[in-house]
Amino acid sequence: MALQQVNKLPFEGLIAAARSHKLGNWHSKLSERASERYTETGWPGPKTESWKYTSLNKLTSGAFALAEEYSAIVPEDMIMPLICPRIVLVNGVLNKELSNLKQLTGSLSITSLVDLEDHQKIPFDDLFKKEESKEYLPLTYLNTAILSDAVVLEITKGSKCETPLHIISIGSGNGIMFAPRLIINAGNGSKVDIIESHVGCSGSEYFSNAVTQLYLGDKSEVGHYKLQNDSTGSFHIGLTRAVINNGASYDNFTMSVGGKLSRNEVRAHLKGSGVECCINGAYLGAADQHIDNTTFIEHQAEGSSSREVFKGVLDDTARGVFQGKILVHPEAQKTDGYQMNRAMLLSDKAEIDSKPELEIYADDVRCSHGATVGELEDDLIFYLCARGIDRESARRMLIGAYISDAIDEVKNIDIRSSIQSVAENWLKQNLYGK
Amino acid sequence: MSLLSIKNLHATVGGNEILKGINLEIGPGEIHAVMGPNGSGKSTLSYVLAGREGYEVTRGTIAFKGKDLIDLAADERANEGVFLAFQYPVEVPGVVGMTFLREAYNAKLRYLGEPEIDAMEFLKFVRSRAKTLNMSDDMLKRAVNVGFSGGEKKRNEILQMAVLEPDLAILDETDSGLDIDALKLVSDGVNELRSENRSMLIITHYQRLLNYIQPDHVHVLAHGKIQRSGGKELALELEAKGYAEFSGEAA
Ligand SMILES: Nc1ncnc2c1ncn2[C@@H]1O[C@H](COP(=O)(O)OP(=O)(O)O)[C@@H](O)[C@H]1O
Ligand SMILES: [Mg+2]
Repeated sequence: MALQQVNKLPFEGLIAAARSHKLGNWHSKLSERASERYTETGWPGPKTESWKYTSLNKLTSGAFALAEEYSAIVPEDMIMPLICPRIVLVNGVLNKELSNLKQLTGSLSITSLVDLEDHQKIPFDDLFKKEESKEYLPLTYLNTAILSDAVVLEITKGSKCETPLHIISIGSGNGIMFAPRLIINAGNGSKVDIIESHVGCSGSEYFSNAVTQLYLGDKSEVGHYKLQNDSTGSFHIGLTRAVINNGASYDNFTMSVGGKLSRNEVRAHLKGSGVECCINGAYLGAADQHIDNTTFIEHQAEGSSSREVFKGVLDDTARGVFQGKILVHPEAQKTDGYQMNRAMLLSDKAEIDSKPELEIYADDVRCSHGATVGELEDDLIFYLCARGIDRESARRMLIGAYISDAIDEVKNIDIRSSIQSVAENWLKQNLYGK
Repeated sequence: MSLLSIKNLHATVGGNEILKGINLEIGPGEIHAVMGPNGSGKSTLSYVLAGREGYEVTRGTIAFKGKDLIDLAADERANEGVFLAFQYPVEVPGVVGMTFLREAYNAKLRYLGEPEIDAMEFLKFVRSRAKTLNMSDDMLKRAVNVGFSGGEKKRNEILQMAVLEPDLAILDETDSGLDIDALKLVSDGVNELRSENRSMLIITHYQRLLNYIQPDHVHVLAHGKIQRSGGKELALELEAKGYAEFSGEAA
């Protein structure tokens, strides 16, 4: 540890540049605190337990500057195909022209911190302080230290939003780093579906260091679906944190298909009892992509259930990582936890590392986990070919069916089918002629 | 002209020669039974005809409707009209029965250069075929063969055959693992599909199935060759005497 503190940390130069950038004095203070935490934790190395399967060497060997451009053209073919109101961030900053802020109903309010005077930002301090925890999250602290904007979404108590809200984070430019920050506050008894599409302009190679924080009030219902389809050659490190109160339900799904190296970390804290929490996902990797899904589900109170289903397909020399920890506190009796992680390897050189971890301190709980790794069996392909289906279509059907099994976990039907079409597109583009 | 003409067929699997000179002519509308001890190469023959990878033809020819089959991929052979009912149908997780049938049917239509079938029309057609085999709508909504009993899997094979209407159906041990009621259902399904322009190659270890599906010709396969051919009385003789005559090293 001592050694790490002596060494200069990656991106430290950017932290200094970011201060007094767009968010003025208020951000300088925030940034100072965050960079202190960043220095304390140190950069993840090969000995860092939570990062042992994902090396950031490729990221740190690149040179990045802070993004300065905040407009772009929405890459429509990369985002989740859905017709609903949008909020568009370009390089981490809200772009009002590309967003449909006027279409938002009264039950949803949006604040972009860029728009506020310093004294107006003070009420938001607490939201950021919550992320200055004791956990080992250096990249989250880095996000806070360099952010250029933060978008805060409030869903009024008791209001049910019928149409989903699509948040599109676009990366535009080469060699840039940016830090999208979303804070979502779902009031008691509210209901909302939020989609995040993380995409890039074609040819852009960037580092998106994203953080989304969600607070679910009592009996609220939040669907939260993320598509990571960043442009080839880009890096995506994302943290989603959800704090879930009594009787609330949280349905989370991450579809990872893009980028050169991505990590999607979900940390769900089931503070209340009677919570229903689903953290699911699917990933499709080809070429030399590295896709990491790391989850942490913390049962803090009695009688909550969590369900976790991840499925991945890896071709070429792609590498997948799944780490899933479930922590059950002594108070969390009658916890029901389920975790399943499956991967299909389409090539001898593809690889998956899987690490489930259960830590249970209550005695009356039901928790199970399992993991499988398989390949696409020749028997199956031949069965379809013997019915007249060509080899390429047969593979596409079988792999598609494999991955749909995870996508079927998504509760909202429209969103489910739009994730499905993202997967089908991937299969068309990546399995062609194999 | 024969529908299927196999001449001096030699084939290897994993480097071992399993078929060692098969000769077989099947005319339109004819039903041929191939019987033989376990391990004699019956399934190998069926896979070689269906075009399974890893089953390599080293000598001889296979002509189907006058076309050389050997150079065609499995899907092309299927679309030309060769159908294999598998001895062990595999479970296809996540692929719904009805979707699977429609994909297969449309693949054939595309191969023939015809427009794809309307989904509703196809549904009606499949339902009418399923009824004969006593297969419920529910089975068609489930993933292909997943959680099906042995008998249900075999019925599902025959349903696929009924829908795809092949010119040559190869039934590999369709009777194995069936109780008497299921055997009757499956045989009725097969008999319904008999027609003057549909030929069948029925592979079986036991004579039992041939009581229900009467063959025109019976062949005994042992040691990779057809050792004897005859009429349906040959099946009865084998039932009585067993395959002892054909065991031991090949003549
Ligand atoms: N994939 C394979 N690799 C090597 N040998 C095989 C393979 N499949 C079958 N065989 C061998 O080929 C021979 C014939 O098998 P098979 O055609 O299944 O016989 P049958 O159907 O008449 O019982 C057997 O000796 C079997 O062990
Ligand atoms: Mg056999």
